[in-house]
This record gives sequence, structure tokens and C-alpha cells, in this order.
Amino acid sequence: MAGPTSAKGGSLMKESWNMVVTYVTAAILVFVLTFHLLLHSPLAGKAFDATLSFGYATGDLTYYQVIFGFLLFAAVIHGFNGIRAMAIEWLHPTKRAWLLNGIVFVLMAFFLAVGTVTLIVVG
Amino acid sequence: MKRDQRFKSGIISSLIPVGFNLERWSYTVHRITGVVLVGYLMAHIFETFQLGAGSTAWANTMAALHSLGPLELVGLWIVAGSALYHGGNGIRLILNEAFGRFMGKPILPVYPYSPTSLGKNQKIAVWTITAVVLALWVWAGVYLLAGVGVI
Repeated sequence: MAGPTSAKGGSLMKESWNMVVTYVTAAILVFVLTFHLLLHSPLAGKAFDATLSFGYATGDLTYYQVIFGFLLFAAVIHGFNGIRAMAIEWLHPTKRAWLLNGIVFVLMAFFLAVGTVTLIVVG
Repeated sequence: MKRDQRFKSGIISSLIPVGFNLERWSYTVHRITGVVLVGYLMAHIFETFQLGAGSTAWANTMAALHSLGPLELVGLWIVAGSALYHGGNGIRLILNEAFGRFMGKPILPVYPYSPTSLGKNQKIAVWTITAVVLALWVWAGVYLLAGVGVI
């Protein structure tokens, strides 16, 4: 079976590749987001408010830095790609698809940068 | 129909799927919860950024959030529900679209064209996910809003 081919016509990525990215990031999120939620759940053995303390929060980011890195990248890519897909379905930007793709790409890069800086500084 | 009217109609029907089947309702809820989660994700990244600025900045951020009163926890409960539904339904969609589960066997298109992909298995999957998500959401609500359930 042939896989998704490369993009043509100036777009960043062919839509079939976008679906692959969506599924892969979704599968990653199922595991890492569940882990993140469990750290703030009753299973953590603390009241919810106690899991928001500076020590607990920085401890999480320090001990599980790689997992939170996966969470950050998967969530940002999956989330903004989803918004892009909805915008395409609603707005049909046939002539200005490049503008929509550009805005989404810049937003992704911005939030990934902010999140990565946090992980590096705290971790 | 004019171009703009047609687009408006599409947006409205995709957000209010009254008269459509179960799959369409799940599609709409999946999208709405997705938008809620992206909104929270952006705020959460900025919130977590304050950890890097030190304990005082973090305490100030928490104080600002706590000043919202019960709205803070109700908001988090809505986000938790959105994450649960989006995740649960997302697993169904991956099994459905990437692995062909719950689709039913292909048949010849005979009037009234009932698609096998929206058959019994698909309905069972949607309702099972909805039930599990509701149960977990109630559990999250009891934990978040009443502080009960710490193990």
C-alpha cells in the first residue's frame, strides 16, 4: 500500500500526511495526557489544590520532563492542526489557504517555543 | 443559494445537528470539546510558564486563578469533561477510521441506503464511550468540586 506522497502546489504538507500526524499525535496524547491527569487525580493521594503547589508542579516537570515534552508537542500539533481543519471546512479558503496555514504554523511555533522554554528552565 | 448563505448554513448545521444521526452528534461534540481544549491549552501553557519565573510568580498566578472563586473549579471540570469525551471518542475514531473497526460488512447500495458503517456496532461504541465518559466526569466533579475521593 502506498503511503501519503509529498505536498504540491506550495502547501506545507499534503492532507493525507496531516491525517497521519493527527492519528499519531492523538495516540501519543491518549497515553501522556492520561498520565498528566493522573498526577492531578485522586490516585495522586493528594487533594487537587495540593497538586498545584510550586514544589509538586516543578517536581513533576523535573522528573517527567521527557513525557511532558511529548505532551507539549503532541497537544500543540494535534490541537492547532484540528483548528486548521475546522477552519478549512467552514471557510473554504481556496485562494488564501496559504494564509491560514501560515497563521496556524506561526501559532504552533510560538506555543511550542513558550512550552519548551518552560520545560528547559524548570527542568 | 448564494455562496455566503450556503457557508452559513453549513456552519450552523455542523454546530446544531438536530435531526441528524448519532454519529453526527458525536462529530459535533468532538469538535466543540476540541475547541474548548485548544483554548485551555493556550492558557495552560502561559500558566505553566510562570513556574519558570519562581515561586512568587507561581503563587501570584494561583492567587489570580483562585480569585475566580467556584468558577475556576467549574471551568476545570468542563475542561476535564472535554478531555474525557474528546479522548474517548478519539480512540473510537482511530479504531474506526485507521483500523476499520465497528464499520460493518460492505453491502450493495439498496434503497433506502442505510450505511453499515452507522450500524449496531457503531451505536454500541458511541453509547459505551458516552456512558464511561459521563461516569468519569461525575467522579472528576466529586473530586474537584467537593474534594472527595483522595486515595
